Amino acid sequence: MPNILEVRDLAKYFGGVRALDGVTISVPEKSIVGLIGPNGSGKTTLFNVVTGFYEPTRGEVLLRDDDGSVERIDGLNPNEVFLKGVVRTFQVPRLFTSLTVLENVLVTPPVQIGERVLDAPFKSRWEKQERELARKAVGLLKRFGMGDYVYSRVTELSVAHIKLLETIRGLMTSATLYLLDEPAAGVDYGVARELFNYIRGLREEGLTFFIVEHRLDVLMDYVDYVYVLHNGKLLSEGKPSEVVNDPKVIEAYIGG
Amino acid sequence: MRRLKMPQVPWDVLSSLTVMVVQYSLLYMIFAVPLTLSYRTTKVINFVHSNFVTYGAYAAILLNGLYGNRNMLLAAALAFTVSGGIAVLNNVAVFRPLDKKGAKPVALMISSMGLWIFYKYLLYTIIDLATYFSRINFVSYPKIVYEWIPSLSLGSVKLSSSFIATSLSAAAMIAGLYALLEKTNLGRAMRAVSDNPTLSEISGIPRHMVVNLTWLIAGGIAGVGGVLWTSYAGSITPEAGDSMILQIFTVGFIGGLSSLTRTCIGAVLVASIENYGITLLNQFFGVETSYKPFLTFITLITTLVVSPPLGAGGGLPYKLFRRAGRSA
Amino acid sequence: MPEFDLLGFLIQWLTIFGLYSILAITLNLEAGFAGLTNFGKVVFYGIGAYVGATLTTYLTLHLNNVDPFEYPPYSIDGIVKLIELGGKSPPLSIGLLALSLIIAFIAAGSVGFLLTYPILRVGPAFVGFTLLSFGELMRVFLRHYEPVGGSKGLAAIPRPFSWVGDPKLSGFLFLLLVLGLVAFTYITMDRLTNSPIGRVFRAVRDDEIAALCLGKHVPRIKALTLFIGSGFSGMAGALMAYYFTSVNPDMFVPAVTFNVWAMVILGGMGNFTGSIIGVALFTLVDRLLAFITPTLGVTAISPDYIRWMFVGLLIVIVLLFMPKGLLAERPLKTPAADEARKLLAEGVGSAQHT
Ligand SMILES: Nc1ncnc2c1ncn2[C@@H]1O[C@H](COP(=O)(O)OP(=O)(O)O)[C@@H](O)[C@H]1O
Ligand SMILES: [Mg+2]
Repeated sequence: MPNILEVRDLAKYFGGVRALDGVTISVPEKSIVGLIGPNGSGKTTLFNVVTGFYEPTRGEVLLRDDDGSVERIDGLNPNEVFLKGVVRTFQVPRLFTSLTVLENVLVTPPVQIGERVLDAPFKSRWEKQERELARKAVGLLKRFGMGDYVYSRVTELSVAHIKLLETIRGLMTSATLYLLDEPAAGVDYGVARELFNYIRGLREEGLTFFIVEHRLDVLMDYVDYVYVLHNGKLLSEGKPSEVVNDPKVIEAYIGG
Repeated sequence: MRRLKMPQVPWDVLSSLTVMVVQYSLLYMIFAVPLTLSYRTTKVINFVHSNFVTYGAYAAILLNGLYGNRNMLLAAALAFTVSGGIAVLNNVAVFRPLDKKGAKPVALMISSMGLWIFYKYLLYTIIDLATYFSRINFVSYPKIVYEWIPSLSLGSVKLSSSFIATSLSAAAMIAGLYALLEKTNLGRAMRAVSDNPTLSEISGIPRHMVVNLTWLIAGGIAGVGGVLWTSYAGSITPEAGDSMILQIFTVGFIGGLSSLTRTCIGAVLVASIENYGITLLNQFFGVETSYKPFLTFITLITTLVVSPPLGAGGGLPYKLFRRAGRSA
Repeated sequence: MPEFDLLGFLIQWLTIFGLYSILAITLNLEAGFAGLTNFGKVVFYGIGAYVGATLTTYLTLHLNNVDPFEYPPYSIDGIVKLIELGGKSPPLSIGLLALSLIIAFIAAGSVGFLLTYPILRVGPAFVGFTLLSFGELMRVFLRHYEPVGGSKGLAAIPRPFSWVGDPKLSGFLFLLLVLGLVAFTYITMDRLTNSPIGRVFRAVRDDEIAALCLGKHVPRIKALTLFIGSGFSGMAGALMAYYFTSVNPDMFVPAVTFNVWAMVILGGMGNFTGSIIGVALFTLVDRLLAFITPTLGVTAISPDYIRWMFVGLLIVIVLLFMPKGLLAERPLKTPAADEARKLLAEGVGSAQHT
């Protein structure tokens, strides 16, 4: 499989802090790749650079299009990266607090007729699409046991549901690459498995996932390949079984 | 190459202009450094800051008009107390309760706008009353000549007593803040609160006291700036602070509302651009000097576009300028 | 006690109410929904007023074969001519009205659009401050720009309905026009905010970074919001010029902006009906004060200052004790909730909320 995402010698410094320092990673199409590492090792920063949140200090990020052409996406703005088919979720959830659960999910779909200012005042022009999107959204919410919360304000949700909603919101697009930042943190074991089963299902349908996760008990059963970051550098990589037995990895985790 | 005809700029004009630029630089420092100081510790965008300056000026004016005071130290002490007191009162009565109720930073800023209007017209009312009872025109008050402060002349360069007072005050402010922030526990606590409010709370620093003290110092210094203004401006009106709010905030923004050093540099920059700039435009293109604020506004816009203070008061990770021409 | 002219009072009050309503509704769109802290509302109102005044005076002269450069509308001669010519021809008056409204919308909207450029990346504080100081610059400029009358401004602006003859009737027609525009503004804004784009507005207000990462072009959305809000404010400005028949730089002080803010905050951010109530209360009190003040005679304290202190305090008090204002924000109304309800009702085993 060709790589949908390639990160080459990527570095990001914050003043003296080298959050990323020469990281090279490839994510093959239609795979689930894990990214693990102790706290502060640079995982979130990597996502932030890939999605255009930060400009890298050095290195490049390459994305493969549907038609097979490869393009540099570092330096693009976050909204442009999203429209290229890369969706990310946030480790610290960023939901829209005045909107309901349903509306949060409905913000995501990119090409909405009712988001064009000249069409928006005329309900007849966008009502059909809006109803279709609502059906899709409710379907997704029900699937993850959030059917009871469709009309809830997100401020009333539990931590686990907030986390889950972040991911569900990302799944409302037709993107091809998903970067999930700790999707299972705080989610109970059963639902976490359900989430990863669903992700595996989507992978079968042709989507690609790049996942940061601390819950190794769940993650390792689903990923094809794992990268380990430590202090902004790659410490190890390989199949899940190889990585968990790598003494360097064990030491990094125990050493903090 | 075409030879530009260089008009003769008389040396004494240039030197007095430069003295003016230096004086404005120092004044803007005294006005804007406390703005940066208060923002970085309290995270409130404070429009009342311009009231601090005006109230400081009027503390001196009322003291002068009603009691004949010409002692600058006394005026400064009163101004520090009044403006610093207002700052602390705002925090205790408005900002902290709002913060406790979980109001967003925008709500705090809007409340500071409400306070700004309130204090502005409160001052007008006070001035009306003072004028009514004393028959002195306080709405437009002439420059105050303070006693004891010498003036200097170095050759053809004349340094007014106002210049001397402003220089000494600026030096005292910088030295005092340096000593406070770098050498005392309180100063370290102030920096800790600005770096990480939640963490500093956990580590046992009495955050509320630190915040109140910051407000006192910030309001107080700006008030003293107002006193200096009464020794310099041709006439002082209740609009004194408001008429300089563009300059003060621009200077603060250049400092990113976080760095005191960069705020001082901003003060020099803004004072130079507007005074040298308008003199040049006036000399060569006949632009009226009242267009001076346009230069400041251009500086503001340039700052926001080129080096936006993103950390301060939110910010969007959106690049207006991108490295062009990339492919793989 | 002078005789109280109820009809005159109502026409006066409602016209002012209408003009402020447009400002308040659009400010609510910008600040309440999209999170754009526009502290420069008066800029766009002022641009509209000056566009209306300038177009109407110059064109009235020009189209009546008077050379506006020989008799500029800001000179005494020009003003005499304007009084002479104004209200002669109904088609000309109406035509100028329509033209003024359109150009005022475009001019004010474009300035709003362009002004978002420097403030795209920075937080609300900088947005507010930049717009505020732009307003002050605009006044400096107007004061020195002679073609629009400098510090004296323009006067004797011909009213669009003065050809009717009866001043009460023409005032009433003008009121209808103003209220018509209020209704148009209200309906447009209400529809915009209860649609997918309204959802995006709220998303941007809640968390602009998340919205950006979900592909929303946040800068464009902000620019668009300010274009729309400013465009409508510009139209209100043009009408204001006709209503007062004069404009001058000191009509467009920041105080106007704060008035509108106070109305919106009192009424409730994110609720257009609330804004209208806020405007009604404020303008009513102001009208009443305008009646009472003269009866007080000379006072040591100006009632005007007391009024402003009250405006400032009101903002603070509402934020402290009634942060949602009189009417809280209403949930978004799109067919999505309805569709979801249907789906959940037929769904098996899934309990339903609300
Ligand atoms: N915006 C920032 N400014 C300064 N330092 C940062 C910033 N973002 C992240 N860092 C630093 O970069 C390092 C990596 O952080 P992060 O990527 O969040 O780690 P992880 O997600 O692996 O826990 C940390 O030391 C963190 O303090
Ligand atoms: Mg992380």
